[in-house]
Amino acid sequence: MNDLTDASIQALQLLLSGDAEVWNIISVSFTVSLKAILIATVPAIAMAFVLAYYAFPGRRFVITLFNTALAIPAVVVGLTLYLLLSRSGPFGDLHLLFTQEAMIIGQIILAFPLLVAMSHASLQSSDQRAWETAITLGASAFVAAVTVIREVRFGLMAAIIAAFGRIIAEVGSSMMVGGNILNYTRNIPTAIALETSKGSFVEGIALGMVLLTLALLLNFFLTAIQGKAEVIHQ
Amino acid sequence: MTSLIKKASLSLNRVCFKRGIRTILDNVDFSVSQGELVLMTGQNGSGKSTLLKITAGLLKPQQAQVRFVPHDGQQGSYPWPRLKKLLRRKVCYLHQHPYLFHGSVYDNVAYGLKRQKMSKQEIEQRVVQALQEYSLESLIHRDCHELSGGEKQRVAIVRSWITRPEIILLDEPFSNMDKESRKKSYALIKQMCQQDIAIVLTSHDPLIGELSFDQHIHLYQGKMTHKSV
Repeated sequence: MNDLTDASIQALQLLLSGDAEVWNIISVSFTVSLKAILIATVPAIAMAFVLAYYAFPGRRFVITLFNTALAIPAVVVGLTLYLLLSRSGPFGDLHLLFTQEAMIIGQIILAFPLLVAMSHASLQSSDQRAWETAITLGASAFVAAVTVIREVRFGLMAAIIAAFGRIIAEVGSSMMVGGNILNYTRNIPTAIALETSKGSFVEGIALGMVLLTLALLLNFFLTAIQGKAEVIHQ
Repeated sequence: MTSLIKKASLSLNRVCFKRGIRTILDNVDFSVSQGELVLMTGQNGSGKSTLLKITAGLLKPQQAQVRFVPHDGQQGSYPWPRLKKLLRRKVCYLHQHPYLFHGSVYDNVAYGLKRQKMSKQEIEQRVVQALQEYSLESLIHRDCHELSGGEKQRVAIVRSWITRPEIILLDEPFSNMDKESRKKSYALIKQMCQQDIAIVLTSHDPLIGELSFDQHIHLYQGKMTHKSV
Protein backbone atom coordinates (compact mmCIF):
# COMPACT_ATOMS: atom_id res chain seq x y z
CA MET A 1 0.00 0.00 0.00
CA ASN A 2 2.89 2.33 0.92
CA ASP A 3 4.58 1.48 -2.39
CA LEU A 4 1.45 2.46 -4.26
CA THR A 5 1.16 5.75 -2.34
CA ASP A 6 4.83 6.57 -2.88
CA ALA A 7 4.58 5.71 -6.55
CA SER A 8 1.46 7.85 -6.91
CA ILE A 9 3.17 10.86 -5.27
CA GLN A 10 6.20 10.43 -7.52
CA ALA A 11 3.89 10.09 -10.53
CA LEU A 12 2.18 13.35 -9.65
CA GLN A 13 5.56 15.06 -9.26
CA LEU A 14 6.61 13.66 -12.65
CA LEU A 15 3.49 15.12 -14.28
CA LEU A 16 3.87 18.50 -12.59
CA SER A 17 7.57 18.70 -13.45
CA GLY A 18 6.57 18.91 -17.12
CA ASP A 19 8.62 15.85 -18.11
CA ALA A 20 8.93 16.14 -21.90
CA GLU A 21 8.67 12.41 -22.57
CA VAL A 22 5.50 11.97 -20.52
CA TRP A 23 3.80 15.02 -22.00
CA ASN A 24 4.77 13.93 -25.51
CA ILE A 25 3.06 10.59 -24.89
CA ILE A 26 -0.05 12.44 -23.68
CA SER A 27 0.06 14.68 -26.74
CA VAL A 28 0.27 11.69 -29.14
CA SER A 29 -2.69 10.09 -27.37
CA PHE A 30 -4.91 13.14 -27.68
CA THR A 31 -3.83 14.01 -31.23
CA VAL A 32 -4.54 10.51 -32.56
CA SER A 33 -7.83 9.99 -30.71
CA LEU A 34 -9.21 13.46 -31.46
CA LYS A 35 -8.44 13.04 -35.16
CA ALA A 36 -10.07 9.60 -35.15
CA ILE A 37 -13.25 10.82 -33.44
CA LEU A 38 -13.45 13.89 -35.70
CA ILE A 39 -13.23 11.73 -38.83
CA ALA A 40 -15.65 9.05 -37.56
CA THR A 41 -18.41 11.24 -36.11
CA VAL A 42 -20.09 12.74 -39.19
CA PRO A 43 -20.33 9.53 -41.29
CA ALA A 44 -21.38 7.53 -38.21
CA ILE A 45 -24.23 9.93 -37.38
CA ALA A 46 -25.27 10.00 -41.05
CA MET A 47 -25.32 6.19 -41.08
CA ALA A 48 -27.32 6.12 -37.82
CA PHE A 49 -29.81 8.58 -39.31
CA VAL A 50 -30.29 6.44 -42.43
CA LEU A 51 -30.82 3.35 -40.25
CA ALA A 52 -33.33 5.16 -38.02
CA TYR A 53 -35.33 7.01 -40.66
CA TYR A 54 -35.19 5.03 -43.91
CA ALA A 55 -36.53 1.58 -44.67
CA PHE A 56 -34.42 -0.50 -47.07
CA PRO A 57 -33.81 -4.21 -47.58
CA GLY A 58 -31.21 -5.53 -45.15
CA ARG A 59 -31.63 -2.67 -42.68
CA ARG A 60 -32.05 -4.96 -39.67
CA PHE A 61 -29.05 -6.99 -40.78
CA VAL A 62 -26.88 -3.85 -40.91
CA ILE A 63 -28.07 -2.83 -37.42
CA THR A 64 -27.19 -6.31 -36.13
CA LEU A 65 -23.73 -6.04 -37.73
CA PHE A 66 -23.02 -2.75 -35.99
CA ASN A 67 -24.27 -4.06 -32.66
CA THR A 68 -22.03 -7.11 -33.08
CA ALA A 69 -19.07 -4.90 -33.98
CA LEU A 70 -19.38 -3.30 -30.54
CA ALA A 71 -18.00 -6.48 -29.04
CA ILE A 72 -14.93 -6.76 -31.29
CA PRO A 73 -11.79 -6.60 -29.11
CA ALA A 74 -9.33 -3.81 -29.99
CA VAL A 75 -6.56 -6.37 -30.42
CA VAL A 76 -8.55 -8.17 -33.14
CA VAL A 77 -8.97 -4.88 -35.00
CA GLY A 78 -5.23 -4.33 -34.57
CA LEU A 79 -4.39 -7.80 -35.85
CA THR A 80 -6.63 -7.44 -38.92
CA LEU A 81 -5.22 -4.01 -39.71
CA TYR A 82 -1.68 -5.30 -39.20
CA LEU A 83 -2.28 -8.03 -41.78
CA LEU A 84 -3.80 -5.54 -44.21
CA LEU A 85 -1.08 -2.90 -43.78
CA SER A 86 2.01 -5.11 -43.46
CA ARG A 87 4.37 -5.25 -46.45
CA SER A 88 2.91 -8.50 -47.74
CA GLY A 89 -0.68 -7.29 -47.15
CA PRO A 90 -2.98 -5.75 -49.78
CA PHE A 91 -2.30 -2.19 -48.54
CA GLY A 92 1.41 -2.69 -47.82
CA ASP A 93 2.42 -0.23 -50.54
CA LEU A 94 0.86 2.59 -48.58
CA HIS A 95 3.58 2.21 -45.90
CA LEU A 96 1.13 3.00 -43.12
CA LEU A 97 2.16 0.35 -40.61
CA PHE A 98 3.72 1.78 -37.42
CA THR A 99 2.49 5.29 -38.15
CA GLN A 100 0.00 7.56 -36.38
CA GLU A 101 -2.24 7.26 -39.46
CA ALA A 102 -2.52 3.51 -38.89
CA MET A 103 -3.42 4.15 -35.25
CA ILE A 104 -6.08 6.64 -36.38
CA ILE A 105 -7.55 4.06 -38.82
CA GLY A 106 -7.68 1.47 -36.03
CA GLN A 107 -9.38 3.89 -33.65
CA ILE A 108 -11.90 4.93 -36.32
CA ILE A 109 -12.81 1.26 -36.79
CA LEU A 110 -13.27 0.91 -33.03
CA ALA A 111 -15.25 4.13 -32.58
CA PHE A 112 -17.52 3.81 -35.63
CA PRO A 113 -19.81 0.96 -34.45
CA LEU A 114 -20.19 2.52 -31.00
CA LEU A 115 -21.06 5.89 -32.52
CA VAL A 116 -23.55 4.31 -34.93
CA ALA A 117 -25.21 2.11 -32.29
CA MET A 118 -25.59 4.87 -29.69
CA SER A 119 -26.61 7.54 -32.21
CA HIS A 120 -29.10 5.13 -33.78
CA ALA A 121 -30.69 4.49 -30.37
CA SER A 122 -30.94 8.25 -29.81
CA LEU A 123 -32.40 9.00 -33.24
CA GLN A 124 -34.81 6.08 -33.09
CA SER A 125 -36.27 7.41 -29.86
CA SER A 126 -36.55 10.91 -31.32
CA ASP A 127 -39.99 12.30 -31.99
CA GLN A 128 -41.23 11.55 -35.53
CA ARG A 129 -43.14 14.83 -35.39
CA ALA A 130 -39.84 16.76 -35.43
CA TRP A 131 -39.06 15.37 -38.89
CA GLU A 132 -42.60 15.89 -40.18
CA THR A 133 -42.79 19.42 -38.78
CA ALA A 134 -39.50 20.40 -40.41
CA ILE A 135 -40.60 18.95 -43.76
CA THR A 136 -44.00 20.61 -43.65
CA LEU A 137 -42.36 23.97 -42.87
CA GLY A 138 -40.45 23.74 -46.13
CA ALA A 139 -37.19 22.09 -45.05
CA SER A 140 -35.40 19.82 -47.51
CA ALA A 141 -34.73 16.23 -46.40
CA PHE A 142 -31.14 17.25 -45.53
CA VAL A 143 -32.18 20.29 -43.47
CA ALA A 144 -34.91 18.23 -41.75
CA ALA A 145 -32.28 15.61 -40.87
CA VAL A 146 -30.00 18.31 -39.43
CA THR A 147 -32.98 19.63 -37.42
CA VAL A 148 -33.74 16.19 -35.99
CA ILE A 149 -30.05 15.69 -35.15
CA ARG A 150 -30.06 19.04 -33.36
CA GLU A 151 -33.13 17.95 -31.38
CA VAL A 152 -31.34 14.83 -30.08
CA ARG A 153 -27.95 16.48 -29.71
CA PHE A 154 -27.54 15.52 -26.04
CA GLY A 155 -27.84 11.81 -26.87
CA LEU A 156 -25.40 12.23 -29.75
CA MET A 157 -22.91 14.07 -27.52
CA ALA A 158 -23.08 11.16 -25.09
CA ALA A 159 -22.29 8.81 -28.00
CA ILE A 160 -19.28 10.90 -29.04
CA ILE A 161 -17.95 11.07 -25.48
CA ALA A 162 -18.41 7.33 -24.97
CA ALA A 163 -16.62 6.57 -28.25
CA PHE A 164 -13.77 8.96 -27.39
CA GLY A 165 -13.46 7.30 -23.99
CA ARG A 166 -13.20 3.92 -25.66
CA ILE A 167 -10.52 4.80 -28.19
CA ILE A 168 -8.26 6.88 -25.97
CA ALA A 169 -8.01 3.99 -23.53
CA GLU A 170 -7.59 1.14 -26.03
CA VAL A 171 -4.22 -0.55 -26.14
CA GLY A 172 -4.60 -3.54 -28.50
CA SER A 173 -4.94 -1.80 -31.83
CA SER A 174 -2.49 1.04 -31.10
CA MET A 175 0.16 -1.40 -29.94
CA MET A 176 -0.13 -3.63 -33.00
CA VAL A 177 -0.37 -1.03 -35.77
CA GLY A 178 1.47 1.82 -34.03
CA GLY A 179 4.43 -0.17 -32.79
CA ASN A 180 4.84 1.89 -29.58
CA ILE A 181 7.61 4.09 -31.05
CA LEU A 182 8.79 6.77 -28.60
CA ASN A 183 7.89 10.34 -29.56
CA TYR A 184 5.87 9.11 -32.53
CA THR A 185 3.32 6.37 -31.89
CA ARG A 186 3.65 5.79 -28.15
CA ASN A 187 0.39 6.82 -26.55
CA ILE A 188 -0.86 6.60 -22.97
CA PRO A 189 -2.18 2.99 -22.95
CA THR A 190 0.81 1.53 -24.85
CA ALA A 191 3.22 3.45 -22.62
CA ILE A 192 1.50 2.15 -19.48
CA ALA A 193 1.76 -1.42 -20.82
CA LEU A 194 5.47 -0.93 -21.60
CA GLU A 195 6.42 0.80 -18.34
CA THR A 196 4.56 -1.82 -16.30
CA SER A 197 6.36 -4.65 -18.11
CA LYS A 198 9.68 -2.91 -17.28
CA GLY A 199 8.66 -2.59 -13.63
CA SER A 200 8.68 1.22 -13.90
CA PHE A 201 5.41 1.93 -12.16
CA VAL A 202 5.82 5.66 -11.56
CA GLU A 203 5.49 6.65 -15.21
CA GLY A 204 2.68 4.12 -15.67
CA ILE A 205 0.75 5.54 -12.73
CA ALA A 206 1.33 9.11 -13.92
CA LEU A 207 -0.16 8.29 -17.31
CA GLY A 208 -2.96 6.32 -15.66
CA MET A 209 -3.76 9.44 -13.61
CA VAL A 210 -4.15 11.41 -16.83
CA LEU A 211 -6.56 8.81 -18.22
CA LEU A 212 -8.54 8.73 -14.97
CA THR A 213 -8.72 12.54 -14.84
CA LEU A 214 -9.92 12.56 -18.44
CA ALA A 215 -12.57 9.91 -17.65
CA LEU A 216 -13.71 11.98 -14.67
CA LEU A 217 -13.93 15.18 -16.73
CA LEU A 218 -15.81 13.45 -19.54
CA ASN A 219 -18.29 12.00 -17.08
CA PHE A 220 -18.82 15.35 -15.38
CA PHE A 221 -19.49 16.85 -18.80
CA LEU A 222 -21.83 13.99 -19.75
CA THR A 223 -23.78 14.27 -16.50
CA ALA A 224 -24.03 18.03 -16.97
CA ILE A 225 -25.45 17.80 -20.51
CA GLN A 226 -27.79 14.96 -19.55
CA GLY A 227 -29.01 17.06 -16.65
CA LYS A 228 -29.69 19.89 -19.06
CA ALA A 229 -31.62 17.54 -21.34
CA GLU A 230 -33.77 16.38 -18.41
CA VAL A 231 -34.69 19.96 -17.60
CA ILE A 232 -35.58 20.66 -21.21
CA HIS A 233 -37.92 17.71 -21.41
CA GLN A 234 -39.87 18.57 -18.26
CA MET B 1 -64.93 39.68 -59.74
CA THR B 2 -63.34 36.95 -57.64
CA SER B 3 -64.54 34.27 -60.05
CA LEU B 4 -62.22 35.72 -62.70
CA ILE B 5 -59.19 35.12 -60.48
CA LYS B 6 -57.73 31.65 -60.72
CA LYS B 7 -58.01 29.95 -57.35
CA ALA B 8 -55.61 27.34 -56.01
CA SER B 9 -57.25 24.00 -55.41
CA LEU B 10 -56.40 20.48 -54.42
CA SER B 11 -58.45 17.39 -55.02
CA LEU B 12 -57.75 13.85 -53.94
CA ASN B 13 -59.92 11.15 -55.43
CA ARG B 14 -60.27 7.46 -54.61
CA VAL B 15 -57.63 7.65 -51.88
CA CYS B 16 -56.73 4.25 -50.45
CA PHE B 17 -54.25 3.71 -47.66
CA LYS B 18 -53.41 0.46 -45.91
CA ARG B 19 -51.14 -0.33 -43.01
CA GLY B 20 -50.35 -4.03 -43.20
CA ILE B 21 -53.69 -5.71 -43.76
CA ARG B 22 -55.64 -2.90 -42.07
CA THR B 23 -57.42 -0.50 -44.39
CA ILE B 24 -57.14 3.02 -43.02
CA LEU B 25 -58.71 4.88 -45.97
CA ASP B 26 -60.99 3.29 -48.52
CA ASN B 27 -61.83 5.25 -51.69
CA VAL B 28 -62.09 8.66 -50.06
CA ASP B 29 -62.71 11.76 -52.20
CA PHE B 30 -61.72 15.13 -50.88
CA SER B 31 -61.17 18.56 -52.36
CA VAL B 32 -60.42 22.03 -51.07
CA SER B 33 -60.07 25.43 -52.75
CA GLN B 34 -58.25 28.59 -51.81
CA GLY B 35 -59.81 30.45 -48.88
CA GLU B 36 -62.17 27.60 -47.96
CA LEU B 37 -62.68 26.38 -44.43
CA VAL B 38 -63.27 22.64 -44.24
CA LEU B 39 -64.29 20.65 -41.18
CA MET B 40 -63.35 16.99 -41.01
CA THR B 41 -65.00 14.91 -38.32
CA GLY B 42 -64.94 11.26 -37.35
CA GLN B 43 -64.18 8.99 -34.43
CA ASN B 44 -60.64 8.22 -33.29
CA GLY B 45 -59.08 5.86 -35.82
CA SER B 46 -61.44 6.85 -38.63
CA GLY B 47 -58.51 7.98 -40.82
CA LYS B 48 -58.65 11.77 -40.40
CA SER B 49 -54.98 12.26 -39.52
CA THR B 50 -53.89 9.83 -42.24
CA LEU B 51 -55.88 11.77 -44.85
CA LEU B 52 -54.33 15.02 -43.65
CA LYS B 53 -50.82 13.55 -43.77
CA ILE B 54 -51.40 12.29 -47.33
CA THR B 55 -52.66 15.75 -48.27
CA ALA B 56 -49.48 17.26 -46.83
CA GLY B 57 -47.28 14.87 -48.81
CA LEU B 58 -46.02 13.18 -45.65
CA LEU B 59 -47.57 9.78 -46.41
CA LYS B 60 -47.75 8.05 -49.77
CA PRO B 61 -51.16 6.52 -50.50
CA GLN B 62 -51.34 3.08 -52.10
CA GLN B 63 -53.84 4.55 -54.53
CA ALA B 64 -55.03 8.09 -55.21
CA GLN B 65 -55.73 10.48 -58.02
CA VAL B 66 -54.35 13.77 -56.86
CA ARG B 67 -54.85 16.97 -58.76
CA PHE B 68 -53.21 20.10 -57.49
CA VAL B 69 -53.63 23.54 -58.99
CA PRO B 70 -51.21 25.82 -57.20
CA HIS B 71 -51.85 29.54 -57.18
CA ASP B 72 -48.79 30.22 -59.31
CA GLY B 73 -48.31 26.96 -61.17
CA GLN B 74 -49.64 24.85 -63.98
CA GLN B 75 -52.54 22.64 -63.15
CA GLY B 76 -52.20 18.94 -63.49
CA SER B 77 -51.66 15.51 -62.03
CA TYR B 78 -48.06 14.77 -61.21
CA PRO B 79 -46.20 11.57 -60.38
CA TRP B 80 -45.94 11.08 -56.60
CA PRO B 81 -42.29 12.22 -56.10
CA ARG B 82 -43.00 15.54 -57.84
CA LEU B 83 -46.40 15.92 -56.26
CA LYS B 84 -44.93 15.19 -52.82
CA LYS B 85 -42.42 18.03 -53.26
CA LEU B 86 -45.14 20.37 -54.47
CA LEU B 87 -47.48 19.51 -51.59
CA ARG B 88 -44.70 19.92 -49.03
CA ARG B 89 -44.04 23.40 -50.39
CA LYS B 90 -47.63 24.56 -50.56
CA VAL B 91 -49.39 22.67 -47.78
CA CYS B 92 -48.61 22.96 -44.08
CA TYR B 93 -49.65 20.25 -41.61
CA LEU B 94 -49.98 20.77 -37.88
CA HIS B 95 -50.05 17.80 -35.50
CA GLN B 96 -52.71 17.32 -32.85
CA HIS B 97 -49.97 17.92 -30.28
CA PRO B 98 -47.74 20.26 -32.24
CA TYR B 99 -44.01 19.75 -32.06
CA LEU B 100 -42.03 22.82 -31.12
CA PHE B 101 -38.29 22.67 -31.68
CA HIS B 102 -35.89 23.28 -28.80
CA GLY B 103 -35.37 27.00 -28.51
CA SER B 104 -37.42 30.15 -28.17
CA VAL B 105 -40.75 31.11 -29.69
CA TYR B 106 -38.79 33.35 -32.07
CA ASP B 107 -36.61 30.42 -33.23
CA ASN B 108 -39.69 28.33 -33.92
CA VAL B 109 -41.68 30.96 -35.78
CA ALA B 110 -38.60 31.92 -37.82
CA TYR B 111 -37.84 28.28 -38.80
CA GLY B 112 -39.93 28.21 -42.00
CA LEU B 113 -38.78 31.69 -43.06
CA LYS B 114 -35.13 30.65 -42.79
CA ARG B 115 -35.91 27.91 -45.32
CA GLN B 116 -37.15 30.60 -47.71
CA LYS B 117 -33.71 32.21 -47.71
CA MET B 118 -34.84 35.60 -46.40
CA SER B 119 -32.47 38.11 -44.86
CA LYS B 120 -32.08 38.07 -41.08
CA GLN B 121 -33.66 41.52 -40.84
CA GLU B 122 -36.68 40.54 -42.93
CA ILE B 123 -37.19 37.38 -40.86
CA GLU B 124 -37.03 39.37 -37.62
CA GLN B 125 -39.48 41.95 -38.93
CA ARG B 126 -41.99 39.35 -40.11
CA VAL B 127 -41.78 37.27 -36.93
CA VAL B 128 -42.33 40.29 -34.68
CA GLN B 129 -45.20 41.48 -36.90
CA ALA B 130 -46.86 38.04 -36.93
CA LEU B 131 -46.60 37.60 -33.19
CA GLN B 132 -47.99 41.10 -32.63
CA GLU B 133 -50.86 40.39 -34.99
CA TYR B 134 -51.88 37.35 -32.96
CA SER B 135 -51.17 38.89 -29.53
CA LEU B 136 -48.25 36.58 -28.86
CA GLU B 137 -45.50 39.20 -28.84
CA SER B 138 -44.99 38.86 -25.08
CA LEU B 139 -43.83 35.27 -25.64
CA ILE B 140 -41.19 36.03 -28.28
CA HIS B 141 -38.13 35.22 -26.15
CA ARG B 142 -39.76 32.52 -24.02
CA ASP B 143 -38.44 28.97 -24.23
CA CYS B 144 -41.07 26.88 -26.02
CA HIS B 145 -40.97 24.22 -23.33
CA GLU B 146 -42.22 26.76 -20.78
CA LEU B 147 -45.43 27.47 -22.73
CA SER B 148 -48.87 26.17 -21.85
CA GLY B 149 -50.63 23.72 -24.20
CA GLY B 150 -52.82 26.48 -25.67
CA GLU B 151 -49.87 28.83 -26.17
CA LYS B 152 -47.91 26.08 -27.89
CA GLN B 153 -50.81 25.43 -30.23
CA ARG B 154 -51.18 29.10 -31.14
CA VAL B 155 -47.43 29.53 -31.67
CA ALA B 156 -47.49 26.46 -33.93
CA ILE B 157 -50.41 27.89 -35.95
CA VAL B 158 -48.57 31.20 -36.41
CA ARG B 159 -45.39 29.27 -37.34
CA SER B 160 -47.35 27.53 -40.12
CA TRP B 161 -49.16 30.65 -41.27
CA ILE B 162 -46.05 32.82 -41.53
CA THR B 163 -44.62 30.60 -44.29
CA ARG B 164 -47.61 31.64 -46.46
CA PRO B 165 -48.81 28.17 -47.46
CA GLU B 166 -51.83 27.81 -49.73
CA ILE B 167 -53.42 25.19 -47.50
CA ILE B 168 -53.07 24.66 -43.74
CA LEU B 169 -54.13 21.34 -42.24
CA LEU B 170 -54.91 21.48 -38.53
CA ASP B 171 -55.28 18.18 -36.70
CA GLU B 172 -57.44 18.73 -33.60
CA PRO B 173 -56.11 22.27 -33.11
CA PHE B 174 -58.29 23.07 -30.10
CA SER B 175 -57.64 19.93 -28.06
CA ASN B 176 -55.23 21.64 -25.62
CA MET B 177 -57.02 24.96 -25.33
CA ASP B 178 -59.23 26.65 -22.79
CA LYS B 179 -62.24 28.71 -23.88
CA GLU B 180 -60.27 31.95 -24.16
CA SER B 181 -57.49 30.39 -26.26
CA ARG B 182 -60.10 28.78 -28.52
CA LYS B 183 -61.75 32.09 -29.19
CA LYS B 184 -58.39 33.61 -30.09
CA SER B 185 -57.68 30.67 -32.39
CA TYR B 186 -61.08 30.94 -34.09
CA ALA B 187 -60.27 34.58 -34.87
CA LEU B 188 -56.86 33.56 -36.15
CA ILE B 189 -58.39 30.92 -38.45
CA LYS B 190 -61.04 33.31 -39.79
CA GLN B 191 -58.29 35.83 -40.55
CA MET B 192 -56.28 33.21 -42.43
CA CYS B 193 -59.27 32.29 -44.58
CA GLN B 194 -59.76 35.96 -45.40
CA GLN B 195 -56.16 35.93 -46.61
CA ASP B 196 -57.19 33.22 -49.10
CA ILE B 197 -55.49 30.38 -47.25
CA ALA B 198 -57.52 27.16 -47.29
CA ILE B 199 -57.90 25.61 -43.84
CA VAL B 200 -58.84 22.01 -43.21
CA LEU B 201 -59.34 21.10 -39.58
CA THR B 202 -60.42 18.10 -37.62
CA SER B 203 -62.25 18.64 -34.36
CA HIS B 204 -64.40 17.13 -31.64
CA ASP B 205 -65.04 20.59 -30.21
CA PRO B 206 -68.79 21.22 -29.74
CA LEU B 207 -68.19 25.00 -29.86
CA ILE B 208 -66.76 24.73 -33.33
CA GLY B 209 -70.12 25.96 -34.65
CA GLU B 210 -68.78 29.48 -34.08
CA LEU B 211 -66.82 29.02 -37.29
CA SER B 212 -68.74 28.90 -40.56
CA PHE B 213 -67.47 26.07 -42.71
CA ASP B 214 -67.60 25.78 -46.47
CA GLN B 215 -67.51 21.99 -46.32
CA HIS B 216 -68.09 19.29 -43.73
CA ILE B 217 -66.61 15.85 -44.29
CA HIS B 218 -67.33 12.91 -42.00
CA LEU B 219 -65.21 9.78 -41.99
CA TYR B 220 -66.25 6.48 -40.48
CA GLN B 221 -63.85 3.52 -40.45
CA GLY B 222 -61.86 4.90 -43.36
CA LYS B 223 -64.84 5.71 -45.56
CA MET B 224 -66.41 9.04 -46.28
CA THR B 225 -69.98 8.73 -45.02
CA HIS B 226 -71.12 12.30 -45.24
CA LYS B 227 -70.16 15.36 -47.22
CA SER B 228 -72.02 18.62 -47.15
CA VAL B 229 -71.25 21.99 -48.67
